Amino acid sequence: RHLSPRLTPSEGLARPPPPPTDNCPNGSFRPSHGKIVERGVVPTCVYQHSRGTIPREPSWDSVEWEGRSLLKALVKKSALCGEQVHVLGCEVSEEEFREGFDSSINNRLVYHDLFRDPLSWSKPGKALPGGPLEALRALDKRTGSGPATIALDSLSWLLHHLPCPILCQTLHALSRQDSCPGDTLPGEQVRVLGLLHEELHGPGPLGALSSLAQTEVTLSGTMGQASAHILYRRPRQRPTLQTQWFSILPDFSLELQVEPLLESQPPSDLHTPSVDPTTHLTFNLHLSKKEREAKDSLTLPFQFSSEKQQALLRPGLGQATSHIFYEPDAYDDLDQEDPDDDLDV
Amino acid sequence: MAAAGTCGTGTRSTGSMVAAASTNNVTSFQRRGPRASGADSGCSRLVSIAGTRPSVRNGQLLVSTGLPALDQLLGGGLAVGTVLLIEEDKYNIYSPLLFKYFLAEGIVSGHALLVASAKEDPADILQKLPAPLIDDSYKKECDEDVCSHKMEPDIKMKIAWRYQLLPKMEAGPVSSSRFGHYYDISKRIPQELIETSKWHGFFLPEKISSAFNVESCSLTPGYMKLLQFIQNIIYKEGFDGSNPQKKQKNILRIGIQNLGSPLWGDDICCTENCDTSHSLTKFLYILRGLLRTSLSACIITMPTHLIQNKAVIARVTNLSDTVVGLESFIGSEKETNPLYKDYHGLIHIRQIPRLNNLIYDISDVKDLAFKLKKKLFTIERLHLPPDLSDTVSRSSKQDLAESTKLLGPGCGMTAGGKKHLDF
Repeated sequence: RHLSPRLTPSEGLARPPPPPTDNCPNGSFRPSHGKIVERGVVPTCVYQHSRGTIPREPSWDSVEWEGRSLLKALVKKSALCGEQVHVLGCEVSEEEFREGFDSSINNRLVYHDLFRDPLSWSKPGKALPGGPLEALRALDKRTGSGPATIALDSLSWLLHHLPCPILCQTLHALSRQDSCPGDTLPGEQVRVLGLLHEELHGPGPLGALSSLAQTEVTLSGTMGQASAHILYRRPRQRPTLQTQWFSILPDFSLELQVEPLLESQPPSDLHTPSVDPTTHLTFNLHLSKKEREAKDSLTLPFQFSSEKQQALLRPGLGQATSHIFYEPDAYDDLDQEDPDDDLDV
Repeated sequence: MAAAGTCGTGTRSTGSMVAAASTNNVTSFQRRGPRASGADSGCSRLVSIAGTRPSVRNGQLLVSTGLPALDQLLGGGLAVGTVLLIEEDKYNIYSPLLFKYFLAEGIVSGHALLVASAKEDPADILQKLPAPLIDDSYKKECDEDVCSHKMEPDIKMKIAWRYQLLPKMEAGPVSSSRFGHYYDISKRIPQELIETSKWHGFFLPEKISSAFNVESCSLTPGYMKLLQFIQNIIYKEGFDGSNPQKKQKNILRIGIQNLGSPLWGDDICCTENCDTSHSLTKFLYILRGLLRTSLSACIITMPTHLIQNKAVIARVTNLSDTVVGLESFIGSEKETNPLYKDYHGLIHIRQIPRLNNLIYDISDVKDLAFKLKKKLFTIERLHLPPDLSDTVSRSSKQDLAESTKLLGPGCGMTAGGKKHLDF
């Protein structure tokens, strides 16, 4: 195993604190979450990908803004359902991730540590060609039996270390696994949860990743209240969009909340119940039943009815009833022989 | 190649007439020589390929796209040897339907298929193809649809005599002489049809896993593999016409799904300026060369909304023959626009090829919308919905008139003035 060995939770907690962040070879990485949260604009995007029929969808309940707590809440939910949870941790140490979970959840949780030693410098003898990529692919093999959840913390880190197409291909392979066993056992499903810091990436990688995802949760909030915009792409159906307000309790369970009343909304509601403009009028706009019948039975002059047709087809009747009264005028030209006699030709 | 193909069919059809005449002994003109005697053995050769017909306009051999309305828009069908590029809608819901229609039409017509995907297993794609509708049942579908529409407003419309005899406007651009089939997307294609059909699947993860790090070529390895695969099939199965006398000719329908997406290993969707941005255009160029020299037609769906560099889209459009864009209303502001309430999206015919011609077959209507019903995907002319409500305020009608101005000239006549129009 080229990764740091799998730890039982007790071992993990007993370990010394993680090395400082400058151990991280790429200094540009590690976004400051605090700042993003302060700004209150769509800080993170939890990216979930599941395959086949959707496993029990965790209810998108309580969360704070920053997406890791939502991720942890989802991880907890999966663990409580009895699934094996694999976490690929790149941005926080194992201790930090496990903090707040009780032991039963920690037992189900397998932490693959990329944070401590991302490029395997501490084991120079091994010298793996692709650190993060190999770790991702190894996850694929590890979740062989039973339903499992893979949590990627975070996709942003992976995007910075891997080319986007390769990451997409690996994620796709991860979620579809080897199709042969999956087809025979419908219960065996792999869910991939990914955390993505939206502001760190351009529209290209975001679009590419979201086109792969089945469910996309974008976090935002107003007035201290977090909300999640959930885009759920059902296979071969219209995607659904909904907004859910929630909060996350300290033990990482979700709590649904009702939508807070925004100050901007009530005024617009007050204005809309408008007065019916037709109530106080000096003339009548409405028809009574009798009037309506009379109106409907009326044949309008431009309509072509069978009576009109009959009347037109009977020329004799028309001749008998109609006459042309004509009194010749003094200047009328009555000579039918020469119509041009007034031209002096 | 397509020209050669059409010449072939032309001579073939006259030949078959002669053959038919000779067998029936209707005329006294008898052709002597080997042809009359070899009529039986040559019969299969004389019959034109199933599921094709020559274009009335330029004599090109056409195949159906599986959607008669789309055939009509593209000038009768898709010419053999050309590429149809479908620009995917944002959530990729409707473009797979067109893709599947094309493949299902191939299966029903007995054509050979080549399905390439990086996302789904081609065998799975084939399993999910829609079931063909027999013509009667299609009529029934349509009638049911019309009936259900008519039931709702039970008011008889009064029409002035001047306009009473005007021909009824056809909603969809369907001509009487269609040769494609209709499909029921709520049902799957019968298993025996798939089993009897001849298909080749290209699933990228399977093909690429063996030799992943072959980066010697300037082409992305996925594209390279696919081109080799297609070329191999074309040569091996004789779609290039190399052995015209041996067996009956058939059409190869090629379908490539999500081309250009990151799953193909292409990063045009991820970055604006990348080194491999020519990979896709090169692929299309070579593919077009392969198609032009063989009896094949190709459909490609491409997530153009993901492609960051607009220049790439323009190049891709130029390199494909027919380009059709799908724009779904989901998630856009058009979803709530009253103008579009009857439809699910717009369909844009971006490019139609000029084949053996200086002009191309332009359809009279440019504003086309599509609708996904329970069983059918339909393309219709975009009409303004009649304004039946009494409570529509003047301002919203103004809005409607404004928004119609965004449309092209097809509906523009009715929306030319600023004042609203009653129907």
